[in-house]
Amino acid sequence: MLRVVIKHFWIGLIACMLLPHPVDSAEKKVDFNRDIRPILSRNCFQCHGPDSTHREADLRLDLEQGLKSKSGDESIIRPGHPEQSLLFERITSNDPDLVMPPADSGKSLKPAEIQLLKQWIEAGAPWSKHWAYLKPQATPAPEVKNQSWPVNWIDHFILSRLEQLNLQPAAEADKVTLIRRLSFDLTGLPPTSQEVDQFVKDQKPQAYEKLVDRLLASPHYGERMAMYWLDLVRFADTVGYHGDQDHHISPYRDYVIRAFNENKPFDQFTREQLAGDLLSEPTLQQKIATGYNRMLQTSHEGGVQRKEYLAIYAADRIRNFSGVWMGATMGCCQCHDHKYDPYTIKDFYSLVSFFADIDEDQHLKRGSDRIPTIREPEIFLYSDQEQKQIAEIESNIKTAEQALKKTKDEQEQKQLKQQLDQLKKTRAAIDRSALKTMITVSIQPREIRVLPRGNWLDETGPVVQPAIPEFLGTLKTDNRRLTRLDLANWLSDEDGYGLLTARVMANRFWYLFFGHGIAPVLDDFGGQGGPPHHPELLDQLALKFYQDQWDVKQMVKFIVMSRAYRQSSLETAGQRKRDPFNQMLDRQARFRLPAEMIRDNALAVSGLLVTDVGGPSVKPYQPEGYYRHLNFPKRTYVADTDERQWRRGLYVHWQRQFLHPMLKAFDAPSREECTAQRPRSNTPIAAMTLLNDPTFIEAARKFAEDVLQNGGDSDTEKIRYAFSRATSRAPEEMESEVLIALLNSNRKAYQSKPKEAVALTKAGLAKTNPELNAVELASWTEVTRALLNLNEVVTRN
Amino acid sequence: MVNFDQLQTGLNRRTFLTNSGVGLGAAALSSLLSGEKNAVAQSTSTQSLVGGLPGLPHFAPKAKRVIFLCMAGGPTHLETFDYKPKLAKMDGKPFPESYTKGQPIAQLQGKELKCQGPLTKFRKYGRNGQEISDFLPWTAKIADDICIIRSMVTEQINHDPAHTFLNTGTAISGRPSMGSWITYGLGSETEELPGFVVLTSVGGRNPQPIASRQWGTGFLPSRYQGVQFNSTGDPVNYLTNPAGVSARQQKELIETVQTLDRFRNQRVANPEIETRIAAYEMAFKMQTSVPELMDLSGESKQTMEMYGAEPGSGTYATNCLLARRLAERGSRFIHLYHRGWDHHGDLVRYMNTCCGLTDQPTWALINDLKQRGMLDETLVIWGGEFGRTPMFQGKGGAGRDHHIKGFSMWMAGGGIKGGITHGATDELGYNSVEDIVHVRDLHATMLHLLGINHQRFSVEFQGLDSRLTGVEEAHVIKNILT
Repeated sequence: MLRVVIKHFWIGLIACMLLPHPVDSAEKKVDFNRDIRPILSRNCFQCHGPDSTHREADLRLDLEQGLKSKSGDESIIRPGHPEQSLLFERITSNDPDLVMPPADSGKSLKPAEIQLLKQWIEAGAPWSKHWAYLKPQATPAPEVKNQSWPVNWIDHFILSRLEQLNLQPAAEADKVTLIRRLSFDLTGLPPTSQEVDQFVKDQKPQAYEKLVDRLLASPHYGERMAMYWLDLVRFADTVGYHGDQDHHISPYRDYVIRAFNENKPFDQFTREQLAGDLLSEPTLQQKIATGYNRMLQTSHEGGVQRKEYLAIYAADRIRNFSGVWMGATMGCCQCHDHKYDPYTIKDFYSLVSFFADIDEDQHLKRGSDRIPTIREPEIFLYSDQEQKQIAEIESNIKTAEQALKKTKDEQEQKQLKQQLDQLKKTRAAIDRSALKTMITVSIQPREIRVLPRGNWLDETGPVVQPAIPEFLGTLKTDNRRLTRLDLANWLSDEDGYGLLTARVMANRFWYLFFGHGIAPVLDDFGGQGGPPHHPELLDQLALKFYQDQWDVKQMVKFIVMSRAYRQSSLETAGQRKRDPFNQMLDRQARFRLPAEMIRDNALAVSGLLVTDVGGPSVKPYQPEGYYRHLNFPKRTYVADTDERQWRRGLYVHWQRQFLHPMLKAFDAPSREECTAQRPRSNTPIAAMTLLNDPTFIEAARKFAEDVLQNGGDSDTEKIRYAFSRATSRAPEEMESEVLIALLNSNRKAYQSKPKEAVALTKAGLAKTNPELNAVELASWTEVTRALLNLNEVVTRN
Repeated sequence: MVNFDQLQTGLNRRTFLTNSGVGLGAAALSSLLSGEKNAVAQSTSTQSLVGGLPGLPHFAPKAKRVIFLCMAGGPTHLETFDYKPKLAKMDGKPFPESYTKGQPIAQLQGKELKCQGPLTKFRKYGRNGQEISDFLPWTAKIADDICIIRSMVTEQINHDPAHTFLNTGTAISGRPSMGSWITYGLGSETEELPGFVVLTSVGGRNPQPIASRQWGTGFLPSRYQGVQFNSTGDPVNYLTNPAGVSARQQKELIETVQTLDRFRNQRVANPEIETRIAAYEMAFKMQTSVPELMDLSGESKQTMEMYGAEPGSGTYATNCLLARRLAERGSRFIHLYHRGWDHHGDLVRYMNTCCGLTDQPTWALINDLKQRGMLDETLVIWGGEFGRTPMFQGKGGAGRDHHIKGFSMWMAGGGIKGGITHGATDELGYNSVEDIVHVRDLHATMLHLLGINHQRFSVEFQGLDSRLTGVEEAHVIKNILT
């Protein structure tokens, strides 16, 4: 088949040919990676795949050689001839003893899958390497008929497919939806009424781009991007296992926010986290970044065996590392060669070896049940004031010590000793309250062996050196032991994993702004993860990310500038039926906001939100006794009583074993493992949370206060004001009427029981304006509660 | 292929909507589920109100629900169900190295290992003379109802991972717990209460920490997460209306939200809104039905005394009674925790404490279920995450360390042969040697009794067909089934 186009849109080459093109042939042609490999992977590789220890009949169907080999006289596959292909014979066999996959495997092929395999063999059984291990290939942007639609080449890839299928892209979303979408997507916060007005009124062609640039320059952009990154690297404030004690790590979160805000190139971001300590003369920020290596779950349980836990930690680290940067599920290889992908158990332990120099033994020697627990090595991050105090105390100590040396007078000695004691106590007190953070310190690497079946008691496995997975090549050194820095460099090296890392990340950026990845599974680019629906587009994005020197903001901007991004998210029943997961991208996505943003949105709308960036984690209201199952030591949660109460969700204390119930109800992960994609559930528990969590009651109450003070005179005006604060649009008449009915009904209720009204207006710590009438305030609080519970208010459209 | 999106949205929506009783029209449903019509038809044909997966159960179940009595910390098998006269004879002697060499060990690392004989007496009870220790006089009365398994083994020697292993079949965090698996597969028989409920108990010695991971839903849709009930404050987090808001006002508020959402949906045609309306409906129902569940005033004095229950106390006794009430109301998996069983030292004293708090209520639960004709359809499982060493540990008086190579549990009720003992450990109570039951086998058997073939009950996660029973072989313990 002829490819339609040859045009490098972005470098301005001119289209040179356009051939008539039958609409469905593009869809009918069997593509090995898209259509065939998933079938083989799912149904055959478990027994005829990469894992050598469980391979049946010595047959590998994951390699072309194996597929086209012979079993005795018969070909497994004879290209062009399904009827002479043993594979086809076995999958279509009626004999229960012969049919593949065997009945006891619990797998079976659907008729459509058998048909695809047949078509593929008929077409000569063309084979290619798994898409994710091939370097991204440059494809010229396809020609499109509707020349006026595309903004950038993303649109060419999408529109050309739609045109082939005789489909239309969705119309552009209205401006209110656009500014809400962009504000949530780029900063995690709703736009203010003024921002909405300004954007809606701005008719200039650059208005949209101006908005994008403003949001990208906001300090909240870094917070929004950090929310996602922190899920990937499983950032949390506690150790995770057993006593789930606190550890010091919040400066790492601030490093991440700062890195996104300063638009640190992603390759450097990678290097600093994995190996900041190995850079020459690392800066403080680079040391903080190495907290990444320390964020795994640790146990401080009495009776942990050192070797066992070193093995557990090593595996935790490789699961995370491979998931975050490689989009690989290498966790499988802790015990055996991967069943579906070409990673081996030796590859796993060779990767472990890169991290063998990290000093993580300290807590195994000095386990502690206290809060926070001992997780050295850590560094102190003294504030300016603390630094000044320390300098002063230390100079006083010096003076006192010198005086002590000189004097022979017993009374004076006694006095000086007391003074010294006191000074040292004061000095120690500073350290107790000062900000600390875990860092990576490189020590003599410990010996790493392959652990057969993952068994840490088995020491018969070969010793391994740091090495990248074998099928991806080898790293050349001059007999020097490879380091974490080599590994980090390999992740961004054009001749290493660089372009593949770029593809893994490009897919995730896409997910952030379209709700789904181009490849469906964000942390499994292996055979079971499913191929991308627009492979050429994904490759282009990866190439761009790489060629732009890992410029994240530029990538984000390019995606949100596209016409595809600006489409309406309204969906017809036909679209939903034809393409429920929107793989054709003929519309935008609508989905419930992530947990943190639901909190941030309510606080922002109410005016309570404190927009400070960074700092130690904060503790919002939480149901009493929620930590009662924690022990070693037992603890009581003390909610913050100051401004910290109203900070953004990403700063909430992340207790791995008992994540704040509000965050949990809205699918925030415990961060025990890498989370590349959160579920988006819709449960009764979440409904109760949004209805009754004191944070939302308090927000509703402050929101009501604002409505009473600034919403205008009449009820209708006030409803209009409140409604547009919550949704950025004016209410329709019916909506307004329903809310007024709710208001009046509550007025009636509260007039007869003013004490109840007072009770509602007292929710939370924020001060109530004493001038306001309690019945009115309570009645309006019910209205604003209703608004904060609307689907539209917690949905990104 | 079921990918993450489909699992999270498609199934979630389908299982929720078909069964939440919100009366969606068939047309709405089919448009929403695109191509899943058949699956829906199948699932509605099953018995349960809040349905599970199409095609489940695989075969007629013996048990409708599970009550899992988890004795967290690892109760000693050597002072409960596994009497070892040889160990008594060797009391104080060095423990034979042939057993312990190269074996995992917890707090006794590097210590001298000595035999510790049984710290109590055993007697025989019931038709078949089940051996039960003097610590458990009430359990002794149900000797004919329970099947003692003396040959348990597990793979994790520290509490947290061992619990995770017992509950999810792996020590890796982030996998679904058995209660989530089961409610995901079978749904539940109530739409007003959660299908999977967790009740933790107060009382006893310094309690084991228990992570919410133990009732986490892992990669399954969030609604199958275990819901934790609290004995004080809100019975379920955020269940109570805000101060100053009456039930009537709350109802009106919810109805307003639903009206506005429905109205908006005429403009935007978003099926997720229907799901959300249903979720609010169910939330409101829960706000009524949970307090009703927790209100024990309707229980007879006799029943209260039988359990030793006191409303609002959060004791194991009260939780056993709540477990029965949840079972009556259709919850599918009820997970009780008593957290005092980590007896490294002073074992006798702490066994007296823990058995004193749990023995009678456990008996009462079995007895009550039996009286109400519910035991036959309820699978009750008793046990902890591991057992304890036959070797002495002496953190203040004789005690025992963690032990994973042999320990005891019991099962009773739906489909279980009562009055028998299955499997055995060696003469020192160290290794399970006869009819060994791995945690995986326990899971396979539990699923079997619920009508599920564990091999055919999988969900794809990270490319793997993940099962509760994992990738290794697991066997249904046929000998203990009726």
